[in-house]
Amino acid sequence: MKVLIVNNMAPFVWGGAEELAENLRKNLVLAGHDSEVLRIPFQWEPAAVIPSQMMMVRALELFNVDKVIALKFPAFYIRHPDKTLWLLHQYRQAYDLFDAGQTNLPPGSEGDDLRSLIRNADNEAFAESTRIFTNSEVTRGRLNHYNGFEATVLLPPVNDPGMFPGGPSDDYIFAGGRINGMKRQHLLLDAMAHASASVRLVIAGPPDAPADAAQLRAAVERLGLTDRVKLDIRFLPRETYAEYVNHAAAVAYLPFDEDSLGYVAMEAATAAKALITTTDSGGILGLVKEGETGWVAEPDAKSLAEAMNAVYTDKARTQKLGEQARERWDSFGISWPKTVETLLS
Amino acid sequence: MKIALVSTFVPFIYGGARNIVEWLQVLLEQEGHQVERIYLPERDAPDLLFQQMAAFRWIDLSSADRVICFRPQAHVIQHPHKILWFIHHIRAFYDLWDTRYRGFPDDEKHRALRSTLREVDTAALREAKHVFTNSKVVSQRLAHYNGVESEVLYPPVFQPERFVCTGYNDEIVCICRVEHHKRQHLLLEAMALTKTSVRLRLCGSSTDPDYRVALERRIDDLGLRNKVTLECRWIDEEEKAAYFGACLAAAYLPVDEDSYGYPSVEASHASKAIISTSDSGGVLELVQDGVNGFISEPTPQALAECMDRLYTDKALAMTMGANALARLKEMQISWSHVLQRLLA
Repeated sequence: MKVLIVNNMAPFVWGGAEELAENLRKNLVLAGHDSEVLRIPFQWEPAAVIPSQMMMVRALELFNVDKVIALKFPAFYIRHPDKTLWLLHQYRQAYDLFDAGQTNLPPGSEGDDLRSLIRNADNEAFAESTRIFTNSEVTRGRLNHYNGFEATVLLPPVNDPGMFPGGPSDDYIFAGGRINGMKRQHLLLDAMAHASASVRLVIAGPPDAPADAAQLRAAVERLGLTDRVKLDIRFLPRETYAEYVNHAAAVAYLPFDEDSLGYVAMEAATAAKALITTTDSGGILGLVKEGETGWVAEPDAKSLAEAMNAVYTDKARTQKLGEQARERWDSFGISWPKTVETLLS
Repeated sequence: MKIALVSTFVPFIYGGARNIVEWLQVLLEQEGHQVERIYLPERDAPDLLFQQMAAFRWIDLSSADRVICFRPQAHVIQHPHKILWFIHHIRAFYDLWDTRYRGFPDDEKHRALRSTLREVDTAALREAKHVFTNSKVVSQRLAHYNGVESEVLYPPVFQPERFVCTGYNDEIVCICRVEHHKRQHLLLEAMALTKTSVRLRLCGSSTDPDYRVALERRIDDLGLRNKVTLECRWIDEEEKAAYFGACLAAAYLPVDEDSYGYPSVEASHASKAIISTSDSGGVLELVQDGVNGFISEPTPQALAECMDRLYTDKALAMTMGANALARLKEMQISWSHVLQRLLA
């Protein structure tokens, strides 16, 4: 079957959704299909251009395509008789972010018109779709709440599970992924100040802004952690990132209230690493169970420090929690072959 | 520099116009540029053209420092620094209007579409900072139909250094898709009239099984089994380089093509003379009769004479081969020239 994946692009920016689309393509090909990714440039600033961007996608013509899998607003406006959505997110600034007061839409009737335009067009696109999947329970809930459409949650698999076989621990706790305030790497540094001297921490990943990096560097200095904390703040080659995960004693990931499990947690579990997170971290709590697959701390330095200490006090137990994290992740049955099969069903 | 390469495509159809875009991307990235490749779907159905052009017009590529546009209607994209490497028009509304390839009636509606399309094209062409084409033929059409001046920028082949001369055997090779309009059949008829022991190798993949069967049958009918090798399959790049490297000369005689065709450039890199015909179109921009090959009449007899001559006079084949390589330099068919012009 010729399956066209339709996604947006912000020219010269490559992010998680691009990676997902590319891995979906590879796995469709592995399953014996033809697959390509159509990446449609999308500009949402200023908000006044949004209607033309929606029309743009609607006006494109496809042929020589058996099935479309569309991922995002406004890519899912593309017309095709057999269109399945794997919804990563809608235009949140017209929905939940609007309700939260974080929108780029103008105030007053102009913004109201844009919101109803987006909602009506979305509803039409959802209605004409063959099937709708979402990438998380939160996305499914929003779709249902704002648009009244039912969908099935289809969690994205780890893109390259083969890179995370695990391995012997080099006795550090690893915190990977993007670095910003919402991911709260700073909280780990505060915890380090309370943790025992044997605890070591590696924070590695790309900062959203230079200030995010500067803040962490300053904290390490201020708290006198230079000999126990390694900061590797940059966009890491995939191999380097995997190396950090595979040789960690445990992996810490404590975003504030995230929608999804998070790749960092999924990859750590694939590598059989015990996980440290916090009670308010959202989606990851589906994977991290206190005393089973890791530690769920309160989001404060002292509670986190206890969890970090525990990684070192009984290393055999830490390893066992890691194994159980892998078992739990495996029990979710989330793999590319199955995902491809579901999307094409 | 941030460079966006914009072209149109038909999903799941590879090769052709995609090559030039993807090869250029590799070269630009090697030069340290940040490149974003954007393929937009396009259907050339008359009734759908204008809505699709409207869509292209709404695309915002302002994050790029410059955009380079290829296949139609990518040239209608808006950008303050738009460069066109124009490959062809939607030909049914241009040079193919008065032919059987038009595919729709010559009526009031389609004449109106034609005149509006030409206006839109002309306006979009005029927005560009610079217009390049891939051949003189296309440049002439731009001048004739749109009144737009352009510069010919011949597309090089990918990694041309792969093609080197390893000798001169007894074989004329023709490596391209095996299709009726590439006229492998004419080469067979010519072979039947040769008087020397010159050999012929025809290879390439085919989408036309009937043509392939007809060629096989003709080889038998003409008793050419021991003189002709027919390989109807995809020839990988290494095999191709080996065949061009070792052959006596190359043959490429498509029916009136716009561009000179990659096979003739590949043969030139391997220092091989090219046999073509007076009705082959763009190939004639590259091949000069008696200099770097022969421009034969498209008849078996005339072609047979060219083949025999190269077989009998190997020194001539070698001289013409050397001229073929020199001709590439003369026409500035190189990536360094392409990069220099596109980035100027």
